[in-house]
Formats: sequence, structure tokens, C-alpha cells
Amino acid sequence: MILERLGKELLYFDGGTGTLLQEKGMKAGELPETWNLTHTEEMVDIHRQYFEAGSDIVLTNTFGANALKFHNTEFELEDIVAAAVVNVKEGAWMGVHDGREVYAALDLGPTGKLLKPMGDLSFEDAYEAYKEVVQYGEEAGADLIHIETMSDTYEVKAAVLAAKENTKLPVFATMIFDENGKLLTGGDVPSVVALLEGLKVDALGINCGMGPEQMLPILEEILRYATVPVIVKPNAGLPKQKDGQVCYDVSPAEFAKVMREIVEKGASAVGGCCGTTPRHIRALVKKTEKLKDLSKREKREPKEYTIVSSYGKAVILGDEPCVIGERINPTGKKRFKQALKEHDIDYILREGIAQQDAGAHILDVNVGLPDIDEPALMKETVAELQSVTSLPLQIDTVDVKALEAAMRIYNGKPMVNSVNGKQESMDAVFPLIQKYGGVVVGLTLDEDGIPDTPEGRAAIAGKIIREAEKYKIPRKDIVIDVLAMTISSDPEGARTTLEALKLVKEQHGVCTVLGVSNISFGLPCRQAVNSNFFTLAMHAGLSAAIINPLSEDMMRSWYSYCALMNYDQNCERYIGQYAGQKNAAPEVKDTRVTLKSAIEKGLKEEAHHAARELLSEKKPLEIINEDMIPALDTVGKGFEKGTVFLPQLLMSADAAKIAFAVLKDALAQAGDVEQKKEKIVLATVKGDIHDIGKNIVKVLLENYSFDVIDLGKDVDPEKIVDAAIRNHVKLVGLSALMTTTVVSMEETIRLLREKKPDCKVMVGGAVLNQEYADMIGADFYGKDAMQSVYYAQSCFT
Amino acid sequence: MDRREKEAVRYLGYGRHAVDEKTEALIRDSFKELDRTAKCRIVYRIFELEIPDDGTVKIGELEIRSKNLAKNMRGCQEAVMLGATLGIEVDMLLRRYSLMDMSKTVVLQACAAALLEEYLDDWQEEHRRAAEAEGCYLRPRFSPGYGDFDISHQEDVIRMLECAKKIGLTMTDRYMLTPSKSVTAVIGISKEEVPCHRKGCEECRKTDCIYRRQEREARTNPVYHERHNTF
Repeated sequence: MILERLGKELLYFDGGTGTLLQEKGMKAGELPETWNLTHTEEMVDIHRQYFEAGSDIVLTNTFGANALKFHNTEFELEDIVAAAVVNVKEGAWMGVHDGREVYAALDLGPTGKLLKPMGDLSFEDAYEAYKEVVQYGEEAGADLIHIETMSDTYEVKAAVLAAKENTKLPVFATMIFDENGKLLTGGDVPSVVALLEGLKVDALGINCGMGPEQMLPILEEILRYATVPVIVKPNAGLPKQKDGQVCYDVSPAEFAKVMREIVEKGASAVGGCCGTTPRHIRALVKKTEKLKDLSKREKREPKEYTIVSSYGKAVILGDEPCVIGERINPTGKKRFKQALKEHDIDYILREGIAQQDAGAHILDVNVGLPDIDEPALMKETVAELQSVTSLPLQIDTVDVKALEAAMRIYNGKPMVNSVNGKQESMDAVFPLIQKYGGVVVGLTLDEDGIPDTPEGRAAIAGKIIREAEKYKIPRKDIVIDVLAMTISSDPEGARTTLEALKLVKEQHGVCTVLGVSNISFGLPCRQAVNSNFFTLAMHAGLSAAIINPLSEDMMRSWYSYCALMNYDQNCERYIGQYAGQKNAAPEVKDTRVTLKSAIEKGLKEEAHHAARELLSEKKPLEIINEDMIPALDTVGKGFEKGTVFLPQLLMSADAAKIAFAVLKDALAQAGDVEQKKEKIVLATVKGDIHDIGKNIVKVLLENYSFDVIDLGKDVDPEKIVDAAIRNHVKLVGLSALMTTTVVSMEETIRLLREKKPDCKVMVGGAVLNQEYADMIGADFYGKDAMQSVYYAQSCFT
Repeated sequence: MDRREKEAVRYLGYGRHAVDEKTEALIRDSFKELDRTAKCRIVYRIFELEIPDDGTVKIGELEIRSKNLAKNMRGCQEAVMLGATLGIEVDMLLRRYSLMDMSKTVVLQACAAALLEEYLDDWQEEHRRAAEAEGCYLRPRFSPGYGDFDISHQEDVIRMLECAKKIGLTMTDRYMLTPSKSVTAVIGISKEEVPCHRKGCEECRKTDCIYRRQEREARTNPVYHERHNTF
């Protein structure tokens, strides 16, 4: 069994196959995987050479053998994979002369597609594609699964899950980093290690992209964070262009020399990638033969870093406290509840971005409301948030289904809020942490409630940590919340919490987290109490605080504390934040500007100010009709005439939006009802992921008081038709960028005509023109955003 | 304003009009932000080229049916095939702004397009010099989707250059490049210097396009001028 040898003795992989295949006559652009069936002899011979050179693990020629990448009508994927495994076994039979145990590793490469929401491949489809291959591979007798050359954490997660859930084979995963230690998708070393170890791979590491020399610093960083054995498979140097072709020129001897250093540093399995040959592997084996017994080298201790990560960024919890933004949560927030009910994801995303801008390091995500499909909404919110922020997320829910749905599709190693000392809670949550990986918040309460004493809370923390061990969840992945009880009802509340923080850290050596704001419940001027308690808690050893980062008082405490305790080198962050900040509030530059001219000139602050001033003279509706609409019309006409340009048109729209918000508040306060708005559905059609045009139209339509139901991009025709029917809309706007997606537009129109014949359709997008729009049966072609507004107005008069 | 700023203004549809102060400031900010965010990457290879007289072009093993491309490549013996991208980070930035500030979004979008063009122009300029030193001449870039060069060839370029693995450039089922600020293209290489006045934008027959590059602009801009002489 390979797992019995892994980490105890040095294991050797094979090297590159591309060059060898080309030498044997494969042409550029040919699918290498077909050679498993068409050139069996040549394939077996390549594998034999590697086994003879000393490889213990040889990869099957299945790098691109997945349904998303492998498009060939001649051969079945199943036959390719089966033949590939057999070829390696055959190669072993012919090439291993010393009776050593060797392994055929099923090779999985990337799908070649970008996952949603940035690309068009869904996580589930990526998973299914890998699932198919790993099942064929196990059936054919592969000994392990080796996922390699991955540059996207999301894709590697799909592959690892597919391998783990559908086979019993060991799983190795190696990623491709650049010289700066980053993935092509931006991920750093700790985030990759945290993700892969969370998913319980048996070994992880680095392959391709660069030569052995350049991999040394990356390896060092991997070893700093990784507990599992580490794999290193470099290219034969950096790629060079010679006569327009890519080539690698590190010789076997040079390669072996640096590889020896790599093994001495701590790699447990080594081999080669592009440009390496059996000669490279032979030299490597020879050069490292004295290092083969890894039990002789200094034992690598398990790493104790508490890491949460997103696709691009790792946050390491520890001495320096970090801020978890609490704003994505409906509790006590009317506007947020409304957004959830109306499925206004954009509102939630804006809350996320605002908190990131204010300095949050992690975002808590809670979308629980009665009568809401929480698993679906949580999943969607998490995915969408990850397309606009690189901050790690804390999935906050009591709904175990929602928790699992979100953990499964989360790109990274999430924080999970929460488990507690109740057996029922631990039985439900820990299996998920064990499977998907995550840092879990443990609340110090159990069947008997919340203990009054620090000792009582520390005892529950101990219980949680011990129970987690049964699931092989290390204590570094548990963060204890000793709970802050409001001082107005429990006078000792703050003291108990602060004592408990210290005690938990002393007794259990784990990180801590606290929802800080609860402390002041029922008191006036809560920010004062909260921010002072926050400082005390940090000083008692708090690792992470769940707070409102938009609260200046709280962030001031954080910046000050970090500066005082020397976590902020040279007070750089503090100075960056507060230097020259006498005029903190955005100053209105010119208070004499009228609302009309503020909108025409696109001045946001001035528009806000002018709207408030005007309210002392006029009613909101009068302001809209007498000042705002005329201003918007002037700008719109200018745009049509070619004297105002798109950026200016949109600046005016943004200014108007701000003024509208002021008036809307005034209306609400006066108890007036807003005028009933006409609804319009907007969508970027199926297959199209460019939605800037649609978003421009949306902003302008909203300016003209339309209620826009924005379905987003890459939207199925059925979903558009459903939304049109459900909301009784009279107008649908569709956008498409390319000729290849106009077909979806045509299909959507056809379906709308069939299911909702009374609905008009306007279309727009770069490739469209009047003729094309007529051809696909649209009612209106908007050559620019203002035309869409005029058409919409004409539809409702 | 420098070259890329002027180019961004053109993409924003200003034509011959002067750009307003606020937009100009937005353009400056956008480039600053892009310089921090964009991860420009390129991958290319040189292939042998055949142009039989039947409206097809053969680049390496890839056969392309396109009269426009054949015309563009006439007289060339080799072709550079390339893929380039600003990286996924720029898409995220655009998405972020589209939730907060649409005017900033459209300006950023134009600037990102200009940045990519500039990156490719600079790259090509460098290779033009190197090629000319060896007596070879480069033609203008020609991309899938131009004229009758079918967009579906995007897939071949990505596969032949291993764009996904090398630079993280992939494609959707409907042939849209992801990350969105990316380009695939081919460039002909000839042994003879062919005076060639066709250059991207000006060659297009849609003369009423608001994004069209102005003749005057081309004449006063030394870079275009230089290219004009070259091709």
C-alpha cells in the first residue's frame, strides 16, 4: 500500500511525457489520450522507461481525459481511461526488475474551463466530469488518484471531492504556482494548503510552471504550513522559446543536483514535469539514494496555524486580532430582511464590499429568515460574494442543510458559525468539518445552558475540542466563542467573558472569537461600551471579533490596539487610516448648486445636499417632477445629440439615485406611499457572461422610476419567461454581446411569444443592429441605453 | 494624455470631442488601479504557414477557412499564434464596481481594453524589431471573429497554445474568452516587407461607428505612424 510508504521513504514519480510522445511522432494539436488506444506499444514503452529509471509512481496518460476537455467521437472516455491504466501496469511489468512495489496513478488535469461565477462551468458539472473519470480509473485498477497542474482552487476542490466521494483510492494533489508563489487565479500558498488539507488529501505539492531552482522558495513556504507529505515535480527549467517552440534545457545532472536540495528541505515524493525525461529521473534517483529513508530525517511536526481562506487569500488567526464583519445578517435590520425577501443579492454584495473597504478581514454570512429557502439562498449568496470579494467567509447558520450546501461550493476553507457543546450540535456539524474542512466556531454552551463562570465555559470548550478529535479535527481548526453576556442584565457579564477568554487560551491553546456588540444591549450610546469592551477583549487574547466594521468607534479601537501592541509596524496602518483626516465627513464643495445642476453635472454629494435643502420648500413628488426629471431629460437629450457621453450620463444617473434615496426616506417618514412602479425584467441571455450593457440600462431605467427585476447574466430562457409571468411584466429587456449568444436571445424571444404573448421584448448588445433584431423577432432594438428608456416609457403610456 | 488614455477615451465613444474633466480623472484613477490589479500574461508559438489558393489558411496542423485571413497573410511563410490576458482579477474589479458605481465601471472597462491593446502593441513592437533584425516582417494582428475568420477558432488557439495551463486563459461554451479582458490572435511573418495600409480599426467598413479611430488622431500619434510605415 502506498500510504504505508508515503512519508516514510522517499517516493519517485515519473517525468514528462509530452516530449517523449512528440519524439515518437505525435503531432501538435493531437489528443495525447487517444494514444493509449492507437499507439499502445509506444505508450507502454514510455512507462517502461520510467519504471526502469526508478519511478515508483507512474501517471496514466489521462491528463485531458475528462468529458469537458476530451471531445472525440471515435473513442469512448471509458476505454481511454481503462487502456491508460493497463498501459502503466504493462510498463511496470516490463520495466521493474528489482521486484519493488510500484503504482499506477490516475492522472487528472484541469478541465480547461473557468468555473462560475467568473466563467460558465458550474461547480457541479466540474464535479460530475471528474467523477466519471475516477470511477473508470478505480474500476480499471488504478492505485491512486493524482490531481495535477491545477491553477484554480475551486476546480481542484471539485476534483478532490469527486475522487474522495466516489472511490476508496488515496488522493494526491499538486498545483501550479508562479515565481511569486501565486496561482494563476491568485491563490497563495497558505490558502492552497489550508484548502487541500481541509479536504483531507493524502499528499499535496507543486508541479509544472518552473524549474527546480525556482521551486525552492515555494517549497519552503509549503512546508511552513503543510502537515501532510509534500510532492515536488518541476519542469526541466523555465520554458525557453527556440524557433518559436517551447523547450526546456536543464540537464539531468543539474536537475538531480537541485532535486537533492529539494529532498533535503523536506519533500517526500519527487519527480519531473514538462521537459524531464527518464534520464532526469534516473539521475534524480541516483543522486538521492542515500536520502531514501525518510524516518532518519528530522520529524516534521504537525502545523498549528489556524487558517481560513478564500480562493485568493488566507487569513491566519492568532495573536494579532482580526475583524469579522457582521453586517450580512438580517437580525434587527428591516432593510436587509426586505432585500432577502426580494432576493436582492446585489444589496447583500454591497454590504460585503462596504465592509471590506472599511477594513474587515473575514465576512460573516447569515441569510436565515423564516419562510425562506435558506440552503439555496446561502449557496447563491456565498458564490456571488466570492465573485466580488477575496475575503474568506464565515458561514453562519443553524440550518445544517444550508451549512453543507454552502461548505460544498465554497471556494476555500471557510469559517463555520457555529457548533456548541450540545451533543446534537456536535453530531450534526463535525461530520461536515471533517469532510469539507473548515475552522469552526465553538460556542461555550450546552444542554445545561451557558455557565456563569469562566471555568464552566472553559470546560465546555474542552468538551468540544475532545469530541472534535474523534472526527480527526485538529484543535487548530476550532475557535472558541466564550460568549459576551449583556451587562445590563448580568453585571458580572463582561468580567466573566474576559476571564474566560484568558482561561480558554491557557487551558486549551486555541484561538478565540467573540460577538462583541451584545455586551451593551439595552444601554444608551452603545458604541462607547462596545469599543471599550472590544479593546479589553483584545487585550485578554481575543483572536477574532465579530463586529460592525462600518462603526468608526470599533475600527478606531482595532487600529489603536494594533498600533499600541506593535502588530502594526511603524504604526503604518494607523497613520494610513487617520493621517490628515480632520475633514472626515465628505464635504459638499458648493452648497449653492441647485439639484437640477448637481444632477446634470453628476455631483453626488451636492445632489444629496440640494435634495435635502429642497425638502424644506417642496414635497418629494414635486421635487421629482419639477427638478429631477427635467435634469435627467436634459442629460438624456445631450447624450442623444452627442454632447454628453456615457460616463457623464452615468455620473448623472448616480447623482440622481442619491437624491432619490433622500426623497424616498422623506416619503417613508411622511407615511406617503411611493407611486406604483412599472416592472421590467432585464437579463443577459444564456451563454453570455458580459453584462455591463445590461447594467447600464438598469441604472437608467431605475432613474426613470421603473422597478427593474434583474436576473443577471447567463440566464436560461425558461427562467426569464418564468420571471415575466410571475411578475406580470409587460416588457423584457435582453442583452447579448456576441453572434454566438444571439441564438439564445432568439430562443428566449420565441419562448416568450409562446408563453407570455402580451409581453414586449427590447434587445441590445454589441453585435446587434435593427436588421438582426428584426430577424430574431424583437419588438425593439435599443442602439444605446437612453433608447431603451424611451421605449420603456412608450410601452407604459 | 498618453497613448492608452487617448485610446480609452475613444472606446468611451467621445470621437473627436474633448473629454470632460471628471471623466479624465476617472480614466487616470482607473489606470492606476489597473496597474495594481492586472496581471498581463502572454503565450505564443510560431507555426509554419501555408496559404493554398482556395480561401483557406493552414497554420501548423490547423486549417482555417477564411478569405480575410488569407488576404491578411498573403506572402507570409510563418505565423505567430498568441493568447494574452489581463487576468481574472480585472474581471472581479469590474464586477465589484458594477455594483457600486456604473460610471466608474464603464470607464474601467474601456481602460482595461486599452491596457490590453497597449500590452499587445508593446509586445508586438519588441518582436517586430527582433524579427526585422533577422529580415522578417510582421503583419497586423488578426483575431478569430474578425471578418470571416470564425470565432470558433478561438478553441483551437487555446488548445494549441495550452492557454489554460500557461496563462489561465479559457473559453466558455459560446466562445467567449474568460477572463473577459483577453485576446487570441495570429500574426503573419513574411520575408519581404509588404507596404500594408490596413490596420485593425480603419479597415472596418462600418464607417459610422462611434468608436472609430480618427484619421487625424492616427497621423498625429507617432506610434500609429510608425506602425503605419511598418505594415
